[in-house]
Amino acid sequence: MIKFAKHNYLYKVYTFLPIIILYVSVLNEFDFNYLNIDYFSFNFPFILIFYFALKEYNKFDYLLVFIAGLINDTVVGFPLGISSFSYIVVCTFASYLRNITIRPHLIKDWFYFLFVISLINSINYSILFFFFSYDLDIMFYVINNLFTFLLYVPSTLIFNYYIKAIND
Amino acid sequence: MASSRDDFVIAIRSAFLKKTTKQKFSLLTLIFISVFIIFLSNLNFKIINNLRSIINEIVFRSSFVVSIPENLIITSYSKIVEYSSFYDEFQLNKIQLEELRSKEISNDIIISENNELKGLIEDYSFSSNKILAKVIVDHDSPFLKTIIINKGSFDNIKIGTNIYDKNYLVGRVIEVNFKSSRVLLLSDLNSTVPISITPGNVQAIVVGDGSNSGEIKYIKDNLIEDIQNQSIAYTSGTGSIYKSGIPVGRITTDNSKFIIDFYSDFDQLKYVFVEIQQNLKIGDEKEVDDENLSAAINTEKIKLNILNEEIKILNETNEKFIEENQKLRSQINDTTDKILNLQNKIDNQNKKINQNSIDQEELSFLRQNLIYSSKCQKTVFKKGFKVGTPEYKECILSKGRKLND
Repeated sequence: MIKFAKHNYLYKVYTFLPIIILYVSVLNEFDFNYLNIDYFSFNFPFILIFYFALKEYNKFDYLLVFIAGLINDTVVGFPLGISSFSYIVVCTFASYLRNITIRPHLIKDWFYFLFVISLINSINYSILFFFFSYDLDIMFYVINNLFTFLLYVPSTLIFNYYIKAIND
Repeated sequence: MASSRDDFVIAIRSAFLKKTTKQKFSLLTLIFISVFIIFLSNLNFKIINNLRSIINEIVFRSSFVVSIPENLIITSYSKIVEYSSFYDEFQLNKIQLEELRSKEISNDIIISENNELKGLIEDYSFSSNKILAKVIVDHDSPFLKTIIINKGSFDNIKIGTNIYDKNYLVGRVIEVNFKSSRVLLLSDLNSTVPISITPGNVQAIVVGDGSNSGEIKYIKDNLIEDIQNQSIAYTSGTGSIYKSGIPVGRITTDNSKFIIDFYSDFDQLKYVFVEIQQNLKIGDEKEVDDENLSAAINTEKIKLNILNEEIKILNETNEKFIEENQKLRSQINDTTDKILNLQNKIDNQNKKINQNSIDQEELSFLRQNLIYSSKCQKTVFKKGFKVGTPEYKECILSKGRKLND
């Protein structure tokens, strides 16, 4: 396993890796759309934000998450503030779960995550449809929701590995 | 019961309001800020729009830089695929190029005539320039089908400007920044294009289906039968959103639906053409006269060029015809020679056949002569025929003399 000296410059970059990945993913819309698989898409920022907000990772600043949301809106072309709102609501729900949970369990977190992303996608769709008159295919949202939910567990395993490496 | 409610309230308060040492804002504050921003973006404030343009400029450039590694992988993959089918495509392109060259000339003539006629019926004309723009962000999002190009208000781009891939329509500009713009593709669910369908000249509206094609909607029921499979759709110009006569795609029928396969492949857009229009009103007569004169000279020049090209192509085709004629002549000569040779052969064979039949006759005569010569030959004691005379031969062939001879 890679080990860093705690005051090393590379170590500092490594501690900010989740935020860096979040920014790369919102700037690049990291969802493998170019594979041209029909309807396949997932929301990687949701997985990342939920996980690190749940773990109360000390370098995961909510303000940076908020700014990442603004960038995502600009890249996708949605009205400003929509993604920021979604990301902060994910943080809120994750924070609530962290406060009420004594013994964390992956499966419970997983289904709670499904509830959270379903709620947020519904709010997103409603705001865009009713207030901004956007025409959107609800099937894309449903399938995006499903794949985001399915990819939570594999992503969690990778993130656990990262957290372990940082703590060591 | 009361304690569980207290726990819930404490957890909520903690989630919303508690700030850890590392957090600069509480979540509740950030939620309020985001709702406020959403509210502001719903209203069209100039300051917000300007701020948005600045953010857009920075984000689009950053997005372009961040996308470089991913784009590199995708480009390399498509290049490998392209190389593997390179020769077949080359052959196909060669044939298509020949066809297109001939079509292009007639198109140029029609365009120049069309421009002249437009100048006659309108009191102002559009002079349109197409400038090349690079696609800097194309994430193929499943929600909104848009691309970002590197030309903006600095290059005279306005909201609604038409965007082309070669001569095919791609979409229109929906958001303009100083040096970048967002283009809504025809395949987006929010895109509607008034079209004419040939043959039949049926008017309809095509709406994007969110993937890579469009669907025809808003068409009169009695006109549905006029639409055929593989009909061509081009913009009708209704509503002045798009210019008229721009090719859009081909129509395929799928059960009761009419699907449009766009000519342009929106996944492969690297560069696009942006049409910048300028209205030239006919007011200042002198200026306009000068402009008209130069325009007329230009059109005449274009016509002359076109005619010259036409002559060149006709000469080339004539040369080809002459070459073909010569080839055909030599082929004809060859075939006549062959025919003569064959005729000679036939004659020789006929001669041989005749000779053979004569020989056969002689042979049978000689055979019979051996048997019946004593009956037909004239001797001192017997009446008969002199050897070698036709009567003798007849006697031999009729197997001896008859009684009445």
